[in-house]
Amino acid sequence: MTKRRTLAALAAIALALPLAACGGSGGSGGSNSGKLTFFSWDGEDTMKPVIAKFEQENPGIKVEFSNAPPVPEYISTLQSRILSGTAADVFAIAAENKTNLINGKHVVDLRDKPYLKNVPKFNQTTYSGPDGAVYGLSVASWGAGVLYNKDLLAKVGATTIPQTWDEFLALCHKLKDAGVTPYLESVQGMSTPLAAFLGAENQTTGDTMDKKIFDGSAKFKDYWVEPLTQWSRLWTEGLVTRSAVGLTGDQVRQEFVTGKAAMMIAGPWDIPGIRKAAPKLKIEMAPVPGIAGGKPYLAGAASPGYAINSKAKNPEAADKFLAFLATPEAMAIYQKATGAITVTSDFQPTIDPALSPIVKDVRAGNVYLPQIAWKRAEDILNVEATAQLQLLVQGKATPEQVANALDTKLASTS
Amino acid sequence: MTAQTLAPAGTSTEVPAGAGRPPRFNWARARETSANQLFLVPVALVFVVLLVVPLTQTFYWSFTDFTGYSADVNFVGLSNYRKVLTDPSMLAGLGFTLAFTIGTALLITTFAIPLAVVLNKKFFGRNFVRSVFFFPAIPSIAILGLVWGYILSPLGSGVLNSVLETLFHAGPYPWLSDDTLARLSVIVVAVWGGTGWHSMLYLAYLQSIPADYYEVATIDGASARQQFFHITLPLLTPAVVISNFLLMTGGLKVFDLPYTLTKGGPGFATYTITQSIITSGVAQGRYGLASALATLFAFAVGLVAVAQLWVSRRIERRVL
Repeated sequence: MTKRRTLAALAAIALALPLAACGGSGGSGGSNSGKLTFFSWDGEDTMKPVIAKFEQENPGIKVEFSNAPPVPEYISTLQSRILSGTAADVFAIAAENKTNLINGKHVVDLRDKPYLKNVPKFNQTTYSGPDGAVYGLSVASWGAGVLYNKDLLAKVGATTIPQTWDEFLALCHKLKDAGVTPYLESVQGMSTPLAAFLGAENQTTGDTMDKKIFDGSAKFKDYWVEPLTQWSRLWTEGLVTRSAVGLTGDQVRQEFVTGKAAMMIAGPWDIPGIRKAAPKLKIEMAPVPGIAGGKPYLAGAASPGYAINSKAKNPEAADKFLAFLATPEAMAIYQKATGAITVTSDFQPTIDPALSPIVKDVRAGNVYLPQIAWKRAEDILNVEATAQLQLLVQGKATPEQVANALDTKLASTS
Repeated sequence: MTAQTLAPAGTSTEVPAGAGRPPRFNWARARETSANQLFLVPVALVFVVLLVVPLTQTFYWSFTDFTGYSADVNFVGLSNYRKVLTDPSMLAGLGFTLAFTIGTALLITTFAIPLAVVLNKKFFGRNFVRSVFFFPAIPSIAILGLVWGYILSPLGSGVLNSVLETLFHAGPYPWLSDDTLARLSVIVVAVWGGTGWHSMLYLAYLQSIPADYYEVATIDGASARQQFFHITLPLLTPAVVISNFLLMTGGLKVFDLPYTLTKGGPGFATYTITQSIITSGVAQGRYGLASALATLFAFAVGLVAVAQLWVSRRIERRVL
């Protein structure tokens, strides 16, 4: 009998053990002065060579690496680690979590750090708080524009890249008449041409467009209606099928690499895949042509920055790590692994030639993305904007209705 | 199963000598019972840790302004509940969630029962055919969603559109770009993915129906159709109850398939309540609000489940 009871107790303990293990899932922990914990949204393949070089130069410090893929998985994992007090010493601050990290005082102010000296103002401002403090070391930016298949363009006699939206639409007409799908973009998020139109407009207003919308002195409809109207000409003039509303970015890329579509929306991340799938394709990327009164512009933003946990177990090592990440040496390794357009002034990245027309603007910070420029309720507005843009493409909403819906949504969040 | 039925004869079930006196406490039986109940502890722990604790926390957070980043929260009373019930975008997914649940439950049940009847018959390659129908239940629904995204691509180069063009010179159809077609496509893929699994459930119940019933019915001259409606279907009622209970609760909680196929679009056409909870909670850092929606939703799902069980039990009692 005793034997049976002991057996039952043992079985119970054995079954309960995995639970105990779950409860104790680690994060940084311990006060090992030589250990630095780092939680990244770049994968291990990308960061391993950078970390190896850092450890080689700092023999006393051992980096404990962990990562989660962007974006929702990364955000939620970091969130639960911060809540449970097990977040790493260094982690990535992104557009999607910067407000919560800064408002919750979970990240350290880096504004006086010498390693920020080589980082452009644009990247610093993206991760700065209202008091001017800088909370992230962002060493790269990205820009999205139109990627052209130059062979298909040559077929209809186009030898230059359009500079105005009217020229772009005229080119679309020519391609369509020649039996080629002129242009495709995925509308499962913020539209790149729309963001570019708004970015050009924002620049002409001296970067005050969103400030005015969010302080109540202007409305979305004051700035958005004309860009929305111009963008929707792609569908109202029958140049692109309204079915494009259901396309993913992968499906658009597939049409482009197989030579079925002449132009697509793309970012630097698309280029390696396209080169691999269609090595002979003659491609070139350029900013989105400007609408009346605006110049060609790029949608884009500063890449996520590296931040130091305000409760870091090893703040000195964290500081050293960030200083290393901004060095030309680290940039070279990182850039080689990612192909990213790095922005630190003392390192010149080697970029795919197809991206040449956009590199200068991206490095100078001449890029714009509404959901990053917005001052609050970024994701709430982005979800609403995406749904409204889809209705616009389907012909179920007018540009005025889309802008009004955003004004209504913003009002509901105040 | 009680401890008494497990107890060995001659120990706990015998009437003690000297009946009339109050029965003495049976230590042996108590020890036996406690030893058996120890095995329940791990399951109970799992239940408490993975279900009771999170549910209680969600309920607590629904009255706070919890952002997910700090446990230092403020009590906001019923304002989250007020917001959930007044903000149309929070309930944007309600219509499709209900349509998906009812649609998949009806269609899967309609297809799974005849399929199970066929798979229960003897024919060459039966095990292989059973495996083929069960296969969609093995990969993650999210992967199926991605694959079906290519099949249902609204462009002429999409797999289904290419087939329709080749065979009938028809299309291309905007499978995932038109509100109605997108809703139908999501439901059809869910039915394709779930029918095999549920038919296995029915198959298990079918195999427990004694062959004698069919033999007697055949001797009495009952046709195959009569046998199906008067023997098979009534005796499958417990399976229908279980299958539909799973389909209803699973359907109301659906997230992965619509999200991977359409991301909730076009517009809010295939948006679901769970997507709303996840978006407001994780992406927007509004855990308080998301918790209020989750609490209301859990309560509604619970009510539906209880009501469904009550109705099913009554039908079961009448039929069997």
